Amino acid sequence: MSQFWILGLLGCLLGAAYAAEVCYSDLGCFKDDMPWAGTTERPITRLPWSPEKIGTRFLLYTRQNPDAFQEIKADAAILKASNYNGDRMTRFIIHGFFDKGDENWLIDMCKTMLTVEDVNCICVDWRKGGLSLYTQSANNIRVVGAQVAQMIEVFQDVYRQKPSMVHVIGHSLGAHAAGEVGRRIQKLGRITGLDPAEPYFQGCSATVRLDPSDAMFVDVIHTDILPFIPYVGKGMSQAVGHIDFYPNGGEHMPGCDKNIASTIVDIDGLWEGTRDFVACNHLRSYKYYNESIVSPKGFTGYPCSNQDVFDSGKCFPCADQACPIMGHYADTFHVPNGQSKLKFHLNTGEAVPFSRYRYKVSVNLDGSRSVSGIMKIALYGEQGNTRQYTVHSGRLIPGKTYEVFVDAETDIGEVTRMKFLWNNNIINPLHPKLGAARIELQRGVDRKVYQFCGKKMVGEDVLQTLDPCGLQ
Amino acid sequence: MRTLLLASLGCLFLAVTFAFPASDKEKGIILNLKNGEICAVSMQCKSSCCQRNTGTSIPRCAPLSAENQKCSKLSVYATYYHCKCERGLKCKGDWSVGGTVTNTNFGICEDRNGKTNATS
Repeated sequence: MSQFWILGLLGCLLGAAYAAEVCYSDLGCFKDDMPWAGTTERPITRLPWSPEKIGTRFLLYTRQNPDAFQEIKADAAILKASNYNGDRMTRFIIHGFFDKGDENWLIDMCKTMLTVEDVNCICVDWRKGGLSLYTQSANNIRVVGAQVAQMIEVFQDVYRQKPSMVHVIGHSLGAHAAGEVGRRIQKLGRITGLDPAEPYFQGCSATVRLDPSDAMFVDVIHTDILPFIPYVGKGMSQAVGHIDFYPNGGEHMPGCDKNIASTIVDIDGLWEGTRDFVACNHLRSYKYYNESIVSPKGFTGYPCSNQDVFDSGKCFPCADQACPIMGHYADTFHVPNGQSKLKFHLNTGEAVPFSRYRYKVSVNLDGSRSVSGIMKIALYGEQGNTRQYTVHSGRLIPGKTYEVFVDAETDIGEVTRMKFLWNNNIINPLHPKLGAARIELQRGVDRKVYQFCGKKMVGEDVLQTLDPCGLQ
Repeated sequence: MRTLLLASLGCLFLAVTFAFPASDKEKGIILNLKNGEICAVSMQCKSSCCQRNTGTSIPRCAPLSAENQKCSKLSVYATYYHCKCERGLKCKGDWSVGGTVTNTNFGICEDRNGKTNATS
């Protein structure tokens, strides 16, 4: 028994002293020297598996075949026989650790994209490579990245398609695989990192991980940034893109703190529930991305250094052209020349729909006497109305102005009216009446200010309607 | 020796932590349930609405209905197909004995104070 240990130790020492190397025919060679291993962030040395062992598959969805994929290979004949079209934009989706390429979320994302745009959507399946030890999978992505890069080279040869027409979306380890693609392909159009994996990448050299230099535009969504030890946060806190989004602060996603039974017995089924049980925060990144394809306006990011500052309202509202949209349409944002790692914050909902529309509300309270209770407001607009949001809970003092931020869950368009309501749980024989004398509302996206005035005060649990001030 | 031990410990830690993620806050199991959590009766929910989509689907806590949304009138069953309205609103719709039995006395949430506001 002890011989094994000694042999193992020797192997370890030798491994540290002499870097090993593997070469896979068209993909080139992969070494295990610095920075790939032997650093504090990457203590365990592993060489990536062969392409055969990883078994990477490319599953193509287009508008001609939105329901069933065509498997394509880096081969001109196979490509030409498929529905692939070199004139269209191409988007790759790469999954992460312990996941697979025909998992619902990748296919759903392709299907959602095809409803809004005519693209070649390719799900990259490397499940065998990802169903291994984490340290092994973290190295296998180097081969996966090389294979995607090879694919893009074939596109160039066969269709004269420029790499700028290619967008690589990667979740978790897949995000770093996308980084590897970008390292091999000059002028890759865009990389989206959906909560890039933290262990073995955070703090590592830019060669190893996703980095702004990997593509002309790199956008990242961080949803699980707490340290892996001891919080088991699986994503990076480090900003690694041109623009980095930290929805809900990036640490805890709303809707991820449900009790175990309710998490696993999910609306989307037991499998989705189990996935959320293991990595709810981490998986939220692709759910946000997926929804952003169809409701882009609900994911406006505000430039902000951290969530506390964001909550305090100092990052509100958006300056001119300063707010990008998180997710699919992030590339419409103009990144100032030479800048990268710009941080953006926003809040999302706890379940589908995740999209939210942020307003600042100041309520100037009017009333017969001060009472303790809760006051709420609701917004009414051309396209509908919101539910009631709590402005203040506690002492309600007439004459005072209360300020709150509201993340409305419906896009109501131009705001036309507001309603005010207050209540408490104590019966007051004096029948106090309260009302909002004036409500000032500011929309975050375009800084538009609305003024609403109210006249009649109302008793408990009665809605007071406020009209625009000029109209009174 | 130590490296190997550390490595194997690391792997073990990874395996364990991926299988059992840390729970953050104390969670309501019976009362004070959040939206999306499984419930049996509305009293369990913070929102005081335990909602199900069909007769056979699993009921979960859901937010109350806002103005102009579909709602249920108060029923003897402690779960709803559409939640009750938020405060200040009433669920306007037809009421029938059959609807009471099948829990389908639906309506649309309207402002209780609607008329007085329209004239003011």
